[in-house]
Amino acid sequence: MTRRRVLNVLRKEWAVMATSLNNTLFVTLLPLLITAQALLFVWLIPGFAGESVLESPLLQGALEKLRMALPSLAKLPAEEQFQVFLLSQFNFYLLLIPVMIAIGFATFSIVEEKQTRTLEPLLATPVRTWELLFGKALSGAIPALFITWTCAGIFLLAAVGLGWGPLLEFILTPSWLITLFLLTPAVALLSFLLGVVGSSRAADPKSAQNIAVVVVLPVLALIGAQVAGLVWFTPPLTLALALGIGVIDLLMLGVAVRLFRRETIVVGWR
Amino acid sequence: MPMIEAHQLTKRFGERTAVEALTLEVEEGEILGLLGPNGAGKTTTIRMLTGIIAPTSGYAVVAGRRTDRDVEELHELIGLLPEAPGFYERLSAQRNLEYFAGFYSNFDVRAQVDKYLKLMGLWERRSDRVGTFSKGMKQRLALARALVHEPKVLFLDEPTAGLDPEAAREVRELISQLREGGRTILLSTHNLSEAEELCDRIAVLRTRLIALEAPEDLCRRLFRRRVVVRLESVDSAIIEAVKGLDFVESLERDGDRLIVELADPERERPELIRRLVEAGGRVLEVSEERHSLEEVYLSLVREEEGEKERR
Repeated sequence: MTRRRVLNVLRKEWAVMATSLNNTLFVTLLPLLITAQALLFVWLIPGFAGESVLESPLLQGALEKLRMALPSLAKLPAEEQFQVFLLSQFNFYLLLIPVMIAIGFATFSIVEEKQTRTLEPLLATPVRTWELLFGKALSGAIPALFITWTCAGIFLLAAVGLGWGPLLEFILTPSWLITLFLLTPAVALLSFLLGVVGSSRAADPKSAQNIAVVVVLPVLALIGAQVAGLVWFTPPLTLALALGIGVIDLLMLGVAVRLFRRETIVVGWR
Repeated sequence: MPMIEAHQLTKRFGERTAVEALTLEVEEGEILGLLGPNGAGKTTTIRMLTGIIAPTSGYAVVAGRRTDRDVEELHELIGLLPEAPGFYERLSAQRNLEYFAGFYSNFDVRAQVDKYLKLMGLWERRSDRVGTFSKGMKQRLALARALVHEPKVLFLDEPTAGLDPEAAREVRELISQLREGGRTILLSTHNLSEAEELCDRIAVLRTRLIALEAPEDLCRRLFRRRVVVRLESVDSAIIEAVKGLDFVESLERDGDRLIVELADPERERPELIRRLVEAGGRVLEVSEERHSLEEVYLSLVREEEGEKERR
C-alpha cells in the first residue's frame, strides 16, 4: 500500500510538472547552462591565467594531492596536468545540478499545495506524512538524477570534442563514478528534503528556497577544499562521503516528517 | 449507534479558545447541521473530527475510530468537503479525482472515479483542466472527491458558500440524494434555510455548544406557539369570548385576524374554534404562526451574547 501511495504522489507531481513551461525550462536549461559554464571555464582559465599560474604554490599543493591519487599523471606535461585538475572539479561542480533542481521542485511542490489549498483534502485521505514527503522527494530527485547524468555525458562528449579526449582516463576515475552514481542521488535526495523542510515552514516559494539553499554551501565547500588542495577525494573518501550523506538522508526524512506541521499548515496558511 | 461522538472536545490556539468542551453525538444516517457565526469554531470542529488537527483536550470517535489515534483507518471511512475545494488547477478533473482516490485501499479507482464524474454531471468535462471550471463545478467535483471511496461519514464544510443560487440548489439536491443513501453527514453552513431543508438536527456553536435539537423542537422551545385565526369579521363579542378562555395566554387583533398564544395548541385549538363559532364568528382559516430557523438562530446567538456580557 505504501508503495502504491508513494507512486501515486510521484505520478501526480510529474503530471503537474509537465503542465508548466517554467518547470520544463528550469529542468532543461539550468543544467545545460551549468555544464556549458564549466566547459567554458576549463577552456578559458589556462588562456587567461597564463603560464605563471602553474607556479602558484596553491595550485602546486593541489596538484601534488592529485598526483598522489593518480601517480601516472606525473608523466604528463604541466599544462595538461592543470587541464586534468580543472576537468576533475566537474564531478563536484555537477552536484550543483541536482541540488538546484531538487530545491526548486521541493519548494514549488509544497508551496503549490498551500496556494491551491489542496493540503487539507489531502490530509483527510489515508496518506501518511512520510509517504507524501518521500513521494515528493523522489519526484524531484529522480529527474534531477537523470538530468545530472545526461549533463555528465554531454560534458564528456564536449571534452572529447574540444580535444581533451586523451585526458579522460585521468578524469573518469572510480571517484568520479562514485560521485556520479552514489553521491549525486544522495545529495539530490538531501536537497529535496531540505527544500521540503524549508517550504513546510515558509510562507512563499522564495523564502522556502532561501531556507533550503543552505545545502549548496557544503557542495561549494567540497569544491573549494579540493581546489585549495586541502583534500583530494579518493575513491574510499568519496564512498564514505556518499554513504554519510545517505545516512543523513534517512535522518532528514524523519526530521522533515516531524517538522511538517499539519496543523500550522492547515490552520495558518491562507 | 452513534457514528460521530465528541466528548468534551476542546481546541486552543495559544491564548484563544476556538472550541470549548464540545460534546455531541450524531446517529447513523442522520444529517446534523453545524451553525454558528464566523469564528464560532465550526471549521475547527470539523478538522478535529476528521483527524486533521488534534484536540487540546477531550476526544472524538468517528465511525468507531478515535480521531487522535486511528487516523489512517479513520480516513478510509470518512469523506471531507473542505471550505475551499482545493484542486490542482492545471490537471484535469479526472486526474485530480484519480489522485485523491489513489490513496484509499480495496476499491477500483477508475470505476469509482467514472461513477462519480457521471453522478456529479462532470463526465463531459472530465478531461478539462480544473482551472477552467466554474465555482459550482469545482464544488461538485469536491463532493465527488469526498464520496469517491464511499465513506460512511461525510463532513461538508460550507458546501454552498460562494455559489450562485442555481449551483447552490444543485449541490443541495446532491446532498439530499446522499441522505437517501443512508450516510451520516455533518454539514457546516451559514445558510439557515439550507440547514432547515437538509438537517435532522442542528447544533448551534459559538465556541461552545449553545443548542443541539431538531429545528422544530428549537422553535417550540424558544418561541411561544401562536394560533392565527382569520374570520369574516371580528367584533367585541368575539374578543370577549376568547379572553374568557382560561388557557389563552395572550391575544392580539390584526384586522380580521386573531393571534392567540396557547400553551398546548393541539389540545386547546378545537375548544378555541368552538367558542369563536358560538360567539358568532365565521372562521375562514386557522393556522399556526411559524418561526423561521433564522429567527431561532438569531435568538439563540443574541441570548448567548447577552450571557457572555453578563459573565
